[in-house]
Amino acid sequence: MRGFGAFMRKEFAEIVRTWRIWVLPGIVLFFAITGPVIAEFTPELLKSVATGQPGVVFEFPEPSYVDSYLQWTKNLAQIVTFAVIIIFGGIVSGERRSGTAILVLTKPVTRPAFVVAKFVSQAVMLAVTVVVGAVITWGITAAIFGEAPFAPLAEATGAWLVFGVMFLAVMTLLSVLVNSQAGAAGTGLAVFLVLSILTMWGPALDYSPAGLVNMPTDLVLGQAADTLWPLVTGVLLGAGALVGAAFGFRKAEL
Amino acid sequence: MSDAIVISGLTKVYKETRALDGIDLAVPEGSVYGFLGPNGAGKTTTLRILTGLAAPTSGTATVFGRDVVSATNEVRADIGFLPDVPGFYPWMTAEEFLRFSGRLFGINGGVLEQRVAALLDLAGLTGVSTRIGGFSRGMKQRLGVAQALINAPKLLMLDEPTSALDPIGRKEVLDMIGSLAGRTTVFFSTHILSDVERVCDTVAILHKGRVVTQAPIEELKERYGAQKIVLEVTDRADEIAAALAAAEWVASLERTASGAIVLTVSDIAPARTAIPALVVERGVGLKRMDAGEISLEEVFVDLVGGEA
Repeated sequence: MRGFGAFMRKEFAEIVRTWRIWVLPGIVLFFAITGPVIAEFTPELLKSVATGQPGVVFEFPEPSYVDSYLQWTKNLAQIVTFAVIIIFGGIVSGERRSGTAILVLTKPVTRPAFVVAKFVSQAVMLAVTVVVGAVITWGITAAIFGEAPFAPLAEATGAWLVFGVMFLAVMTLLSVLVNSQAGAAGTGLAVFLVLSILTMWGPALDYSPAGLVNMPTDLVLGQAADTLWPLVTGVLLGAGALVGAAFGFRKAEL
Repeated sequence: MSDAIVISGLTKVYKETRALDGIDLAVPEGSVYGFLGPNGAGKTTTLRILTGLAAPTSGTATVFGRDVVSATNEVRADIGFLPDVPGFYPWMTAEEFLRFSGRLFGINGGVLEQRVAALLDLAGLTGVSTRIGGFSRGMKQRLGVAQALINAPKLLMLDEPTSALDPIGRKEVLDMIGSLAGRTTVFFSTHILSDVERVCDTVAILHKGRVVTQAPIEELKERYGAQKIVLEVTDRADEIAAALAAAEWVASLERTASGAIVLTVSDIAPARTAIPALVVERGVGLKRMDAGEISLEEVFVDLVGGEA
């Protein structure tokens, strides 16, 4: 892993000094701020639409912190996951195409160090962003609804982080195998689709990373059954993808 | 003198294409070595294998005695490399990129700062605070040479460092390379003959994946120049030229504006005796009979058949 520290230092500097600091954190923080507000006003909006229908009476329950947390988990599971897939489709191939990988890898930097440093730095950025987003959601939820237990939000956010970091590892592998950001992102979306379909099959839901897809929402609703196997298999899939990425890149011709 | 690079039977095959066809090469330590060949000859492929970016199909290559396949990181610690189109991080400044490059070699502290300052000066980039994204091609190429020197390499490998530069940028980069002569071994690929003649002391000519010749430039010119004879006589030059043109050892014959006869001969030994005999036989005075000056371009075109 020679060169790991120096290269990761560059990665963090690149996150802070380029578009990377704005896109994913911007998306996450936007939904962290707007989620509780949308949860508060959605019933009001629906009521105002429904009052125009003569003879129809709609009953809406009073919104609560649960609706706010569900907004957060839904945004993580959909929009933020898509953003991870699209943004990190070029995590390795971007450096290959721009030629920067050649200048780095003709110095005494091992290829596994190159791949792992990219993964770790982006995983740190993702984790920090999502944790900050969760804290913002918690604060605004408490301000709006008066009640905001921290544990369900923390558990749900933690479960999604396992899924998000696992997907980051999968995208790192795909970016090594497919030398095009669009191609890797398309393949990543297909992987996500397969995991989503597998949630309809009980054994896959209980014993595979497919169980992570809906786990954040289930944790907020208090409906999560056994979380251990999906978490363990998710971590294993992520670790396997990262090892595969490091090994695949070691063999690649640049 | 030991060899910095030794290549033996190196072959690289891409699907149907044989990019390298069993090349053998020895680059003496301390030389400025021109690796000359037309586009597509296999120069970049050779450099990619030497730097560990690609694996050979067969054959071996060593840098300072270490195999480039099995001892990749040890080899890289001793070399500096500039690819044909260097890719920089556009958000960095030149100083930041040099510092980053140094850290990848494990260089830190005062040594790194000294080298960064010296190399910025060498590249003419001292005080340039513009990000690399705003650099001209020439500035990038100079920075490319500078970053390749950050580890004070024993071997500097440059892939077509001047090919896309304007005359001023080219001169600046060649001056930088020339200034390294005697300080480090330079292995320099190019298809520009005048660049090789200007800065290199030794050359290998690569054509269609094969090394067609390798030697010190002066030796190469001498070897091929010996086949060229310039002759001046006091009288009846046309008659003598016609007689020489009929000789079976004369490959070609030209006349210069001053009336001199320039012969390219296929066998130098009979030429050395037959030409003076022919002049004496006709009772004409011999003003000059010299070995002709040959340019590297003529050697190159002769060897690769004018396909450069």
